[in-house]
Amino acid sequence: MAKGLIQLCYRKIIDVSSEKAWDKYVFEDTWMEFFMQAQTYTQDGKYHTFQEISDNVPAANGMTYMVSTAAINYIRQLKDIVPDIANVYGKLCLPFKRFKFEIIYSDVRDKTSHKVAIYFYSEPITWIDTMDGKLLLAFGDQREALKCGQEVETELISLQPYLNISSVILGSQSVEPKEDYLIATSENSRL
Amino acid sequence: MERKEFLRRGFLSALGTSFVLPIVGACSSDTVDPVSITGNTTGSTTGSCTTTATETAGPFPTKTPSSLVLTDITSDRSGTKLTVKITIQNKNNSCAALANAIVDIWHCDAGGSYSEYGGTGMQSTNYTSVHFLRGRQTTDANGLVTFTSIYPGWYSGRAPHIHAHIYSSSGTSLLVTQIAFDQTINNTVYAQGVYKSHGLQDTTNSNDNVFSDGVGTELASFTGSVSDGYVLTHTIVVNG
Repeated sequence: MAKGLIQLCYRKIIDVSSEKAWDKYVFEDTWMEFFMQAQTYTQDGKYHTFQEISDNVPAANGMTYMVSTAAINYIRQLKDIVPDIANVYGKLCLPFKRFKFEIIYSDVRDKTSHKVAIYFYSEPITWIDTMDGKLLLAFGDQREALKCGQEVETELISLQPYLNISSVILGSQSVEPKEDYLIATSENSRL
Repeated sequence: MERKEFLRRGFLSALGTSFVLPIVGACSSDTVDPVSITGNTTGSTTGSCTTTATETAGPFPTKTPSSLVLTDITSDRSGTKLTVKITIQNKNNSCAALANAIVDIWHCDAGGSYSEYGGTGMQSTNYTSVHFLRGRQTTDANGLVTFTSIYPGWYSGRAPHIHAHIYSSSGTSLLVTQIAFDQTINNTVYAQGVYKSHGLQDTTNSNDNVFSDGVGTELASFTGSVSDGYVLTHTIVVNG
């Protein structure tokens, strides 16, 4: 019987040390967009970092979204499969439709300090069991099928750094969900 | 959400077999640029850790512009068609056309609302209308950018306007400005169509707190009509 319905969230951090081509594109383009957007608030030379601007300029509250516009077309290139998180075959397999962009640190004076994160929120997953540090999962809500003794296709995915179970509905009983997706908890609040 | 996509994934019992078939095809083979490592396709075990399996390197990511880069910025908004033609000139180069300048524009919709771009919440990969009436173009050899949009509406306390932010090709801010509209045409546009229920603007250029110091360099030229749409032509001079 399933333990419950879960949502996995992977927080991918991108900075100057990132080596993959995709990561480098995101680093370069989000840096450029931050540099462009920040100038609206830095021209008097008073503020330089994302934190300084966020803390002191209420009008800058849209900056995270504006900088994310430089990343979204790269995120679409992933074709709704979470990067980096592989199953035991070494294949990427975790479906996502939702993401959240975060500027961890950025300073208009120093490109090398630029650091961003993208949270990838998986689609609903049935959590069947945990074995040897790996989650035995089935995509979608398969609780009813499992309960009926049907055979269900599964994946094994290792628990690993920056991969979180971001929300859970415990129990093997299917209930009519109010929303078609799980709502994340802590990652969804303003940072 | 396309949950059906996941429900479609194989129920092996449908195969009518009692043994478990290999599920090699279960996951997408689309890996994006995996880390280059040594190892074989099945991985190798030494000590307590296992080398990650080698995978094909495709599909490769490609350089792609910001989602702000749009010619038609209308998105899901309705209104009288407006073509926006902005020419950027460089005062530091005898007012010659400035090529490769980056031009951002944004304005409100017929009801006076800007696109929602605040907050730090979740976004969806398939949601594209979030930054309606906002776009970016790079000037051509003649210093020209062209956008397709709708005639802006108005909101209380401001005369109708389009915001513009001009950057050099390397992203350095050159000028933040606003483009002012012709009062007579405003009165014509706002008396019809989706603008009619909102009525005429409550602020003219002369009593607007941004434009009241004069709109000599900010007032655009207009041609066209309500039925054919309007063409806005404007020159912005920067110290490039």
